[in-house]
Amino acid sequence: MVDDLYQEIIIDHSKRPRNCHPMADANRKAEGYNPLCGDELKLYLKIENDIVKDVSFVGSGCAISTASASLMTESLKGKSREESLKLLEKFHELLTTDTPVTQELGKLVVFCGVRDYPARVKCATLAWHTLKSALTNSGEPVSTE
Amino acid sequence: MAPLRILVVDDSVVIRKILSETLSSDPDIEVVGTAGDGRIGLAKIAAYEHELLVYGTEALSRIPGLRLIGTAREKAAVLSFVMDGIHPHDIGTVLDRQGIAVRTGHHCAQPVMDRFGVPATARASLALYNTFAEIDALVAGLGKVKEIFS
Repeated sequence: MVDDLYQEIIIDHSKRPRNCHPMADANRKAEGYNPLCGDELKLYLKIENDIVKDVSFVGSGCAISTASASLMTESLKGKSREESLKLLEKFHELLTTDTPVTQELGKLVVFCGVRDYPARVKCATLAWHTLKSALTNSGEPVSTE
Repeated sequence: MAPLRILVVDDSVVIRKILSETLSSDPDIEVVGTAGDGRIGLAKIAAYEHELLVYGTEALSRIPGLRLIGTAREKAAVLSFVMDGIHPHDIGTVLDRQGIAVRTGHHCAQPVMDRFGVPATARASLALYNTFAEIDALVAGLGKVKEIFS
């Protein structure tokens, strides 16, 4: 029933989010809000030679947004800026289109159930919108509204 | 599906009788009462909604980890609540999948919710067309919510 949305890995990451802490030596930061849900998220990145060396987040939100942030941080380590933005694009496609699921998304495919819940797409993309802001360094807090 | 619940309001006793009988012949309709004018009709609706509210308040209060927000005696038949460790949007989605419609979020009341530090709630809004059995279904649905997120 709802198991297609709340897969075990999503429940696990929402209860025990990975890389969930502030980062003192981050060189990129961004904040994201989802005013409709009251979700908020701060993202920290350490980028060296255009490679994501480390990434972490703090914030509060629903199971989908927390799990999405947690799994995002796991997927980004070691990726270049361009690869990260490419992954964002693929992830957004996964949530909003019927395109077949691709292998390059790895664990992130667990979010494919979200495409059947349009109202929850914002929850799953909050961390990624915030990532885009951090990487492009627009400096403005992002809002999903 | 539960039949449509209808209160017949008309100032003519004859029309009330004819309407009630005609509507009652449809198995999808249940005539739950009649009233001779709008004031009496609205009072009857309010009384029924209040019964639902009392029943729902008691039923939800028995669920461990659930906190009702707003329990004034004279309030409309709405039940706003939060659950320990489960975001209202997750509650809403799981209930939705069981055919139970609630509203989630800040309900256009951001200033007061900021004031009390509640980012969002889930809210069941009861009316004449709801039944006591539907409140039981809500309670069962919340059991499923706890099962998924516990």
